[in-house]
Amino acid sequence: MGKKLIIMNHVTKRFGDLVVLDDFNLYINENEFITLLGPSGCGKTTCLRILGGFETADEGTVEFDGKIINDLEPNQREINTCFQKYALFPHLNVFDNIAFGLKIKKIDKETIHTRVTEILKLVKLSGFETRAISTLSGGQQQRVAIARALINRPKVLLLDEPLGALDLKLRQEMQYELKEMQKELGITFVYVTHDQEEALTMSDTIVIMNQGKILQIGTPEDIYNEPNSRFVANFIGESNIFEGTMISDYLVEFCGKTFECVDKGFEANAEVDVIIRPEDFDVISPSKAKIVGIVDSLAFLGVHYEINVIVEGREYTIHTTKIRKIGDKVGLSVEPNNIHIIARKNHA
Amino acid sequence: MRRLRPYSLPYLLWMGLFILIPTMILVLLAFSNLELYNLSLFQLTLQQFRIFSQPQILNALWNSLKFSLLTTLICFILGYPIAYYLSSLKEKSRKILMAMMIVPLWSNMLLRIIAWEKIFTPTSIINDLLGISFDLLGTETGVLIGMVAMYLPFMIFPIFSVLEKMDVKLIEAAKDLGASDLQTFARVTFPLSSGGVVSGIIMTMLPAMTSFVLPARIGLGRINLIGNIIESKFMKEVLGSSGTSINEGSLISLVLMVFSVISFVMITRADKEGETLI
Amino acid sequence: MMTRSFKRKAIKTTGLLLTILAYLIIFSPILVIFVLSINNSTKGYSWDGFTLRWYRDLFLKDVMKEPIMNTLGVALMSTLLATALGTIFAIGINALEKKKRVQMMVVNNIPVVNPDIVTGISLMIVFSLLSFTLGYYTVLLAHVFFSIPYVVLSVMPRLKKLDSNLYEAALDLGCSRFSGIFRVIIPNISTGILSGALMAFTMSIDDFIITYFTSGAEYMNVSTWLYATISRGRSFTPAAYAYNIIIFTVTIGIIVFINLKRDRKEKIT
Repeated sequence: MGKKLIIMNHVTKRFGDLVVLDDFNLYINENEFITLLGPSGCGKTTCLRILGGFETADEGTVEFDGKIINDLEPNQREINTCFQKYALFPHLNVFDNIAFGLKIKKIDKETIHTRVTEILKLVKLSGFETRAISTLSGGQQQRVAIARALINRPKVLLLDEPLGALDLKLRQEMQYELKEMQKELGITFVYVTHDQEEALTMSDTIVIMNQGKILQIGTPEDIYNEPNSRFVANFIGESNIFEGTMISDYLVEFCGKTFECVDKGFEANAEVDVIIRPEDFDVISPSKAKIVGIVDSLAFLGVHYEINVIVEGREYTIHTTKIRKIGDKVGLSVEPNNIHIIARKNHA
Repeated sequence: MRRLRPYSLPYLLWMGLFILIPTMILVLLAFSNLELYNLSLFQLTLQQFRIFSQPQILNALWNSLKFSLLTTLICFILGYPIAYYLSSLKEKSRKILMAMMIVPLWSNMLLRIIAWEKIFTPTSIINDLLGISFDLLGTETGVLIGMVAMYLPFMIFPIFSVLEKMDVKLIEAAKDLGASDLQTFARVTFPLSSGGVVSGIIMTMLPAMTSFVLPARIGLGRINLIGNIIESKFMKEVLGSSGTSINEGSLISLVLMVFSVISFVMITRADKEGETLI
Repeated sequence: MMTRSFKRKAIKTTGLLLTILAYLIIFSPILVIFVLSINNSTKGYSWDGFTLRWYRDLFLKDVMKEPIMNTLGVALMSTLLATALGTIFAIGINALEKKKRVQMMVVNNIPVVNPDIVTGISLMIVFSLLSFTLGYYTVLLAHVFFSIPYVVLSVMPRLKKLDSNLYEAALDLGCSRFSGIFRVIIPNISTGILSGALMAFTMSIDDFIITYFTSGAEYMNVSTWLYATISRGRSFTPAAYAYNIIIFTVTIGIIVFINLKRDRKEKIT
């Protein structure tokens, strides 16, 4: 990845007594697709608004390309935003909405025309120039919003839950297109969402946030496979979380049994959380298994079944393609590298 | 949007200058011998209160109460069914009829009062043209009719605007749940329109209570309301003998303001942002 | 079923009859004014034949010229000022957080609910404190004051419907704080501004009470001139009726025109 384009240093933002961003430190690379992911109210939109210049940080600095930009107005930043619910201008048609930024910069009419035509092609809306905004579908409005921001050739595009209002199918299509666009244009995308699937599919880097703090930064794979806290494990995908004890390096005890694992470096008998993804359990015959339980409920989810297995009063969630009936006795096994161990102090 | 907030600040100062300050001065004038046009040292005094022993003042207070309550009552009895009827019409006729209700307000108030004066004269142009003759000048009936004609639209507008916006589904839901027409009206429609009713009552009662040209003209000066007293204290007696007429006027204005404040609190409870006021 | 439809019909008929009665009461003075404006008599106690001379008098003989010019002048200026100020204030109020916005609207509505006589006296007191000479400027200021709340009230619903990100989008795309207001907010609330302006104009043109308390002895608009005349027991020229009918008709014309235009626009989009 390229150089650090944006650096947020100890940024704190309060609304009244509420601390929305708490000593926030983050850098964003050039050409990166970075996603701020977290539950609603975690401060991700505020972070975006500080980058866009719509809010000012109470403490800390925001650097852009080596310069501190805390006091720059939104119109002085080489950053554009694709707003939640699009914020398209209802009194202007598609062409005038997209040309808005260029007209403000007093660019000549011909150039505006060429660039709008060009960008409309990019977002697959050629021929929609004179349409009124109110006549467009949600997906088309979304494309206009992206075009309107991108036409100014910003170095960074901020996207605030841009696909939130679209239905599932359209959302998946747009995810793909956005990613393609980002690669093609070589612009940094800062993307805000509460949808973990969206984050996993699109991002180079994911920033998991909660209550104004960063919990984990990493690639989608890192975050999915090596969550560093219960919160992250729960937020990204489903997880079975057990309380356990580290007996020695590569050996952990939970649910009254000992298992081999790949983690080391914990103190002997350290209290740990053990995280196992539902799809990492293998359903095997009960005679060969360390864990044996009874199927309590099951649901067909399309690609696989989700079954709940009761083992000694605990509920395990398992994803499997093999069908079982309620009341069946099943055995469960798990590979050592699928057992993730987190020190207990990391409770979020 | 946050950046636009400062634009509301000057408004607060403006309102403070034109509402808060004069109200404070009014209170001061009412309870002291301060002279408005000759500011100097003053003493607090309750001597203005002696006006409440004058039969003329008491009569005016009583008249204000009587006429404003009667006008409001008549306007409500007429206005609610009319608003209800109008809101039930098809969109086009509803729009036209409502517009026609506003239209008369674009005619000069004084001329409308003068027109009533003409109508209530026995040998009027109405008599000449239509052969109908009224003799209501100087009577309470005449004043009351004039007031109802003047303020009825102010009762109808807010009630209509609430009824018009009401979701038909609510009424259907009430009927679906077993309510009769009357029950639906009493338990759903009317309670939901109460905001408009409160606005309507206040927008009728306060102007009726404070009117002074209408009672003076149609009542031929025989029927005085609180507004007539205030007018004479502030505008006519100032140059006359009584040096404290403005202070007395202020005291009476305060009485009026008490009603105004009560009304305002009620209206604000029913409709916080004043959506039924226009 | 018979009783049900009968009941409905009875209710409808009652509503209709009351409505007719209401229009009769409300419109009878207007009709009288109209008849007097075309009646060939100065006293107006009887019908003395049709004439247009009162209308002619207005334009050719400069009858009532001063009060009419005063009325129109104040109405135009106060409408302009109140509309501009009211719009800006409304934009500011709308941007406040909900609790403060409601509080500001409560303050805004004080002059709307307050009886005119109280507003008139209050303004008179302020002007005397500031030792302003009562006349054109005090009347103008008074009219701006009582018009602004109506402009705010008619602009507000439009503003509330706007996506709050719209203004930020304008800033994001390069607008300065001020040009963002003109390029994005104002075009989207223009119908509210227009109806606010119309309301301000019609209220100013017909105002009597507030002008009466803030105009002093010299300066008169049509209403205060009429009042001064009849208070002295004199009669006034029927040209006043003609003036009223003209203003009335022009106002209706403007409103109808605006509504037709709006309807057509809505049909297109």
